[in-house]
Formats: sequence, C-alpha cells, structure tokens
Amino acid sequence: MTSMDCRRLTTGLCFIAPWLVGFLALSLYPFLSSLYLSGCDYSVLAPAVWIGPENYTNLAQDPIFWKAAGNTVLFALVSVPLGLILSFLLALLLNADIPARGFFRTVFFLPSLMPLVCLAVLWLWLLNGDLGLVNACLRPFLGLGNHLFGASWAPPNWLQDPRFALAGLVLTGLWGVGHPMVIFLAGLQEVPRHLYESADIDGASAWQKLWHITLPTLSPVIYFNGIMALIGCFQVFAVPYVMTEGGDGPERSLLFLATYLYQHAFEYWNMGYACAIGLFLFCLILGLTWVASRLSSRHVHYEGA
Amino acid sequence: MTWGKTIRFLLLLALAVTFLAPMAWMVSTSLKPLAETMTVPPRWIPSSLQWQNYPDAIRAMGYFWRYTGNSLLLCLLTVVGTLVSSTLAAYGFARLEWPGRNKLFSLCLATMMIPFPAIMVPIYGLFKNLGWIGSLKPLWIPTFFASAFHVFLLRQFFLSLPKDTAEAARIDGCNEWQILWHTVLPLAKPVLLVVAVFQFLATWNDFLGPLIYLTDQRTFTLALGLQSFQSQQGGTAWHHLMAASTLVILPVIVLFFLTQRTLIQGIATTGSKN
Amino acid sequence: MSRSLPRLSLLAALWLAGCAGDFGVPAGRTVIRYWDKWSGWEAEAMRAVVDDFNRSQDRIWVEFSSTSHINRKLMLSIGGGVPPDIAGLFGNTLAVYAENNALTPLDQLAQEAGLGEEAYIPIFWEICNHLGHLWALPSSPASLGLVWNKKIFRENGLDPDRPPSSIAELERINDRLTRRDTNGRLQSIGHLPSEPGWWPAIWGWWFGGKLWNGEQMTMDDAGNLAAMEWISTYPQRFASRDLLSFRDGFGNFASPQNAFFTGRVAMVLQGPWIHTFIEKYAPAGFEWGVSAFPTSDPARLGTVTLVETDVLVIPAGAKHPREAFEFLRYVSRQGNMEKLCLGQRKFSPLREVSPDFFAKHPNPHIRTFLELAKSPQAKRVPPFTLWAMMENDMKQAFGKVWNGTATPEEVLRQVQNHLQAELEKSQHRWSRLAGILQKQWSSP
Repeated sequence: MTSMDCRRLTTGLCFIAPWLVGFLALSLYPFLSSLYLSGCDYSVLAPAVWIGPENYTNLAQDPIFWKAAGNTVLFALVSVPLGLILSFLLALLLNADIPARGFFRTVFFLPSLMPLVCLAVLWLWLLNGDLGLVNACLRPFLGLGNHLFGASWAPPNWLQDPRFALAGLVLTGLWGVGHPMVIFLAGLQEVPRHLYESADIDGASAWQKLWHITLPTLSPVIYFNGIMALIGCFQVFAVPYVMTEGGDGPERSLLFLATYLYQHAFEYWNMGYACAIGLFLFCLILGLTWVASRLSSRHVHYEGA
Repeated sequence: MTWGKTIRFLLLLALAVTFLAPMAWMVSTSLKPLAETMTVPPRWIPSSLQWQNYPDAIRAMGYFWRYTGNSLLLCLLTVVGTLVSSTLAAYGFARLEWPGRNKLFSLCLATMMIPFPAIMVPIYGLFKNLGWIGSLKPLWIPTFFASAFHVFLLRQFFLSLPKDTAEAARIDGCNEWQILWHTVLPLAKPVLLVVAVFQFLATWNDFLGPLIYLTDQRTFTLALGLQSFQSQQGGTAWHHLMAASTLVILPVIVLFFLTQRTLIQGIATTGSKN
Repeated sequence: MSRSLPRLSLLAALWLAGCAGDFGVPAGRTVIRYWDKWSGWEAEAMRAVVDDFNRSQDRIWVEFSSTSHINRKLMLSIGGGVPPDIAGLFGNTLAVYAENNALTPLDQLAQEAGLGEEAYIPIFWEICNHLGHLWALPSSPASLGLVWNKKIFRENGLDPDRPPSSIAELERINDRLTRRDTNGRLQSIGHLPSEPGWWPAIWGWWFGGKLWNGEQMTMDDAGNLAAMEWISTYPQRFASRDLLSFRDGFGNFASPQNAFFTGRVAMVLQGPWIHTFIEKYAPAGFEWGVSAFPTSDPARLGTVTLVETDVLVIPAGAKHPREAFEFLRYVSRQGNMEKLCLGQRKFSPLREVSPDFFAKHPNPHIRTFLELAKSPQAKRVPPFTLWAMMENDMKQAFGKVWNGTATPEEVLRQVQNHLQAELEKSQHRWSRLAGILQKQWSSP
C-alpha cells in the first residue's frame, strides 16, 4: 500500500467512523453474541450456561413456536400481495390528469404516517364487534344477504374471534399502503412515454399496455416494495401487541415470531431461547429474500441491464 | 371529462371516502359524550361537541406533558444524531476514494437485513451493562452511530452531485471537511430534510425500543404512554382513547403538511434505482 | 435551522435538568420506590399505611405507585438493573421470580430484625419461602369459600342457613334451584363451575385430587378426573348451547348484572373481596352466607380451600434493601398490618389478632374466611414456575370439556403430558443453575 493509499484510507475511515463503531457495537457484536447466547441458558439475571443445541431442539418441538411461525408466514403471505395490489391500483388510478389529484394522494398517503400505537388503538375501536365502524358498515350488507338467501350471517367479533383476528390485522395493515403507493406512483411516472405511444400505434388495449409495458418496466419497483413489505411483515410486533394488551389473541391467533421472542426474552427471562427464535427469524427473512432475488433475476427487468 | 376519466374519478372518490372514514371516525368519537360512543347504529355527528374530552384525556393519562416532552426531546436528539453521523459516513462512502470502500458499503447495506428483534437481547444486555436501562439514552445515543438506511439515502444523493466544484476546492487546498461543509452540504438541504423527517417519524412512532428500555412512567414516550393508557382503560373509555390518539397523531400531520413535497419526493427516491 | 439548534438544545438541557428533581420529598431522606399491583381501594389502603410510615420516622421516604401489568414491568426493570426497592406481588408468582434470581433473599434481614415464622399463620410463611430461602413477607391474604344467596334458598323452600356439605348435596340443591322459562330456556341455576371460573386448575382438590406430588405432575389422578367428570355433567344435563346462551346474559363481574348479584346463579366459589362487590353492585338487602366449598367426600377430605396472599418483596439489585426492609418490617407489625387488612377488607396473616379487628371489619363473614385459611386442608398454589402455564392449560381443558369437544380423560392426559414435560425442562434448567445461585443467595 502506498502512502497515498494509506492517507486516503485514513481519511475515509475517519468519515465513516461513526458508522463503523455503530456497526461493530450495535450490529456485529450483538449478532455474534446472539449466535453464542442461542446455545446458552441465559437470563440477564444469572450467568449464561452453555447448553449446546438444546434451545434449538426445544424450539423444534415447541407447538407454540410453530403456531407463531405459521401465523407470521400466513400474515406475510396474505398481507404482502394484497398490499402490493392495493397500492399499485391506487397509484394507477392516480397516475392520470384528474381533478383534485393532490388531495387524493394526500388522503391515501396520510394513514401510513400514523404511529403504530395509534393505529392499533384506532383499529381496536373500528373492529369492535358491537360498536365498531367496520361492523356498522357490514351490517346492512349482511342484513340484505340474510334477507335474500335466508341466511343468518352476523358480523364477526373481529379481534376476539380466532377465525377473524388475523384478517382484522391484515385490514389494519392495508390502510397503511400509502408508502408503497408513493413509490409506485414515482415509478409509473418514469415509464417512458414512447413505449405507450408505439403501443397505441399498434392498437394495443389498455389491458395489454398494462401487462406488456407497465408491469415489466415497473418490476424493479414491485420487487423493492415486495421485499420491504415482506421484511416489515416478518417483524410485525407493535400493532398486535397493543391490540392484545401484550397477549397473543384468541387461541393465539395474534401470536407472531417477534411477539413470542419478546415474551421469552422479557417475560420469561428465557433469553437464550429468545436468541434462537431471533436467529430463526433472521434466517427466514434471509431465505425468503434470497428466493425473491432468484425469482427477480428471471422476471425483473432493470432498464439498460 | 371522458367516460374513462369519470369512472376513474368516482372510483378514487369512493376509495378516498373509505380511507378517510377511520380518521373521521376517530375525531368524531373523540368529541362524543361516553354514552354516544355506544349507540348502535353509530352516529357520526355528536349531539354536542365535547371538547372537554381532550383535557380530560390528558389528565387521565397522568404524565401527558412529560411524555410529550420526552418524545420531542428524543426526536430532537435523534435527528441531530442521525444527520451528523449519517452525513459523515455517506460522504465517506460517496465522495472519497479509498481501498475497501465498496466492500464496507455492501456490508453496510447488508446490516439492513438484520431484524432488530434478532439482536435485541444482546443489545439490551449491552445497555444494561452501561447502566442505561430506564433512561432515554438507549433511544438516542445509537443514532449518533449512523443508520444504514440513511447512509444509503444520502450516498445516493451525494453521488448525483457534480464533482467539479469539489475538485476546484481541493485544488485550492481545502480539506475534505471543508469541502463537505462548503460545497456539498449547501446543495444537500432537501435530502437532509428528508432524512430529518424520516428520523423524526421513526422516533415519534417507535414502540418496541421504549417498551424494553423505559421502566419508569415519567420517562415514557408518547407512544408508550398511549399504550399504557389504553391497557389501563381496558378498552372502555373510547372517547378519551380517541382524543389521546388524535393528540399523538397531530404533530405528525402538522409535520406532513409542512414538509409534504420533500417528504413524498424523498419516499419516491427510496424506491427508484435498486 | 442552524441558528435555532443551539436554542433548542438549551431547552432540551433545561428539560433534562427539570426531570432530575423529584417533588414533595423532604430533604435528607432516602427515597424508596415502591410499586404495587393494586389500584382502587386496595391501593388506597396501602397508601394510607405508607403515609403513616413516612410520618413515623425521618430517615426514609417511601414513594408508592400503582403499576398496571406489574409482572411485566417489574421483570423489565429488574433485568435492566433499575428495579424499584419494594414491589407488591401475588404470592403465587414468587417461584418464578426466585428461580430467575430476580429477588433479594430476606433471610439475613429478617433474622436481624427478629422476624420469624412464629408470627404468621403457617401457610402464609410457607408461601413466602422457596428453595430454602425467604423471599417475601405476607401482606394481605385471602381464602376461597362457598358464597351463597340466602334469599334464593328461602324462596325455594331450602334452609337459608344450611349450605350444601357435599358435592352430591350441592347438586341436589342445584337441581332444585334450576328454573327454565316457558320456552325451556335457562332462567336461573344453583351453581355453575364456569361462574366466574377463575380457578379452573384446582377443582380436583374438592375431589381429593392433587396437582403434583412434589416431584411429578399428577394432573390425571383419580381426584382430578372425578372433578373433570363432574364438570362434564353440566353440558350433558343442560346442553352446551343452553349454557352458552344463558351465560351470554351475564354482565361483567364488577357490575350490577353479575349473575350472582342478579340471582341467576345462587352459589359461587369466591374470596373475601366478594363483600366489596356485593356492597357496590348487589341489590339492597342482598343476604349472603359463607362456608367451606363442599367436597365429594366430607368425612375423608375435610375443609378444602385455596389460600393466597399478597406479598412484599425486595427486587434483586434494589439500591436500598435495608431501608426497604424497614418498611416491610413496619407493615408486619400487628397494628399496621391490621390497618392494611381492614382497609383492603381482608383478614390478617398474623397469628395474633387484636380483639376489635373483627368488630371493626366491614365484612360480616371475614372470620369464616380466616377459619378456612387455618384449616389443615387449606392448600396453596404449587411452588413452581409453571403455575401460569398450568392455569392456562387447565382453562383450555375446562373449555373443551364444557363445550363437549373432548372427554375428561383426553384433556387431562394432554395436560399431564405437557406439564410433565415442562416440569422436567424446568427442573433440568434449575439443576444447571442451582449451585451458582444457592451459593450467591447464602453469602451475606
């Protein structure tokens, strides 16, 4: 290394020093430490005792853990596609010269800024079985259904009913799609005009244009939004925690990996076990992102690439 | 307007009503007398506007002003912390040439993949050993060590700036700090604002951090205070809960209207290119 | 922006400085932070004792605060190394705290203060000891008994002063008191194990069952099975659907619509606090009695009850354990303890009771609850870390039997297998730490 290189290196490291220290102390060390602790019986109150793979074998046999993992995956699988479709749809609708466009954009975007605790408290109220707005809106429709088909449908008691609690949470999440919508909107505006123009000359229908021009050009944005939503869903914690007052919902229907991890870490002081859950979560996210990136390399078109 | 446009407009209108309803419902509930929160079917306009609900909710929360002060203080400290540290790091990654830079930057991006819950136990242990649990320190000091996301955002921007003024300054004998301060930062105001707003929102909304680090009610942030209030109420005094929620959201809405254009552009850029 | 930052920072500094000072503490006193699980009248009674203590001396100042979800917050603060100096908990959580090394052992402090088991009714002292160490001192205790509505007994031609003495008699009375409307819907009933259903895990006790034998779980023993079979007779006799819609008509426990207060259920398993709720929510002139809850075999099983007590502990890592113990000791003195228990409407855990305690007590049946607690067959929650899990498992099991979706044998076998595995895990875990922790606890 020349002295020039050396000086450059020093200057560079000086500038990135805040990040480097943070990386070592707040990412690398905790990560390695978590790896070690997942092999220990550890609560912060007593010394850590090495127990080898016991936490992992217990994890494999823990039905509650699998319930939490199942809920988390199910939530992500339902929530991510629905969120993508809704936000894309909103962006498509907004991507035109229509009156009050700015107003609409603000209306769709604002809920995504809502602090998660407020979001949970508000939806707890909206989804209230007797008094909530959601059921107040559903009742006339169900009433009509009952009238027409002689059925006896009643609106669900969302968050108290194990069959509907997760659906209630998905609904809550869908209200916050403003963020990916804004990203989609920006992406839509970058689609080159000339592509549509030449398609018009070829007499393509709106549907064909969407399918053959818009979606392919937008695929990197879809991929980005999808990954972001996926990572968010896998870490879902605050909203179900507040909604269930720190519990796990009826028949554990609102128990997620992050909640279960929190319970083991800070309620049962089973921190080694919590670390094992955390690493499982990490691997899950890593694995799915990898799968997504494999898929994307086949279907995502980067411009000029 | 053509047919297509009319349909599009009506569809948007219907969706807008759906999206607005929850907020309107929140404000409406916050202004009702308790008895009217329990009517079926619900009524939208309270028989009389109970402004009194707001001071009542503030009193019922106990330390409302304390919570607000804590949240604002944290927002201030974290915004300063993130701006200073992430700008430095981003400059180091974007505008300086040094061996190993790109490798370290990939590492920086990779850390975004680690979910906080996966490493929260050792971090908690670290802060415990430092004697920080129960204080606000674990919530703001880490922001002085740069966040990967903000570094990424700022780096993107710095890369897009022209290099000739910096070169000229370098020839004039300015060192890198001076170049950053005099030639780069003045141009970077919009992106700095975006980072500041992002950080403000993140701090204002954070729940898991305050939940595990704060033990004394008087150190709670507003978000944690609201959750604690809701769990004490056991979901009965909905008019107070909605008044409190409205108060917690209000600063966010104000911030949004003040910085709307920058914020939305900022979000839009996070999605473009990679 | 750059100019307003210093000003904002100045404000921030002022804010931090403002937070540092505490209000209302006389100068020169050591401040003891005390968190208690109670709010409402129980908290007020404790607050009065705290105020007395603060006035009684000039060295220590106890700062009392009611804390919701106390177990969660206390564990966090202990784990973080910033616990309060005193916490008021339920006795049945002590094993969890102790085995997690979350409490300060009190053996030494109690010995120095001359406090020992001779002062307490034995079962309360037992509750405070675990793994050979003293972890807490009892504050206000409770026991469970059969609480019945005398007026309904009288209206149905039963002797209002003669509660059932066996399960068989309870069921005879139950049949006698069951009323249906013209459509066959249940109107009122004598007794329902699901009302209020707060102790689903322990019904076996009244049938001679045990939860564990000190080493292994015995959740499927003959007594527990008999109890679960008794529970399964309800959905058979009354049909699950009827019971569900009957129950839908009940209001909250703390409301005038409480099924016991409205006369829809005539007999319940309850503790001394029921008096406060009767005063507040039951119709005027509500006549009630208290006795032991009947067993399946009175001659063999005697008087069975569950005994619990609130406890005061000093968390591990408390800054001022000695000063905190001063307060614990103050509460344990007879006069102060009786003031607390009168205020919380409980009986006293001490052997000595002053003559006018019962005369002053608002609950006319408090003496019966005390006698129940002193019974040789009085039982406490098993001293292990699995109690919360056991309660949860048994709640699920009860629900399945109640809805007729599983047989008593099935549910108990499941519970037994699950809890036995968990017990072994917990014993295994303890065996790893026992050496280290016992050594730490025994050194002064």
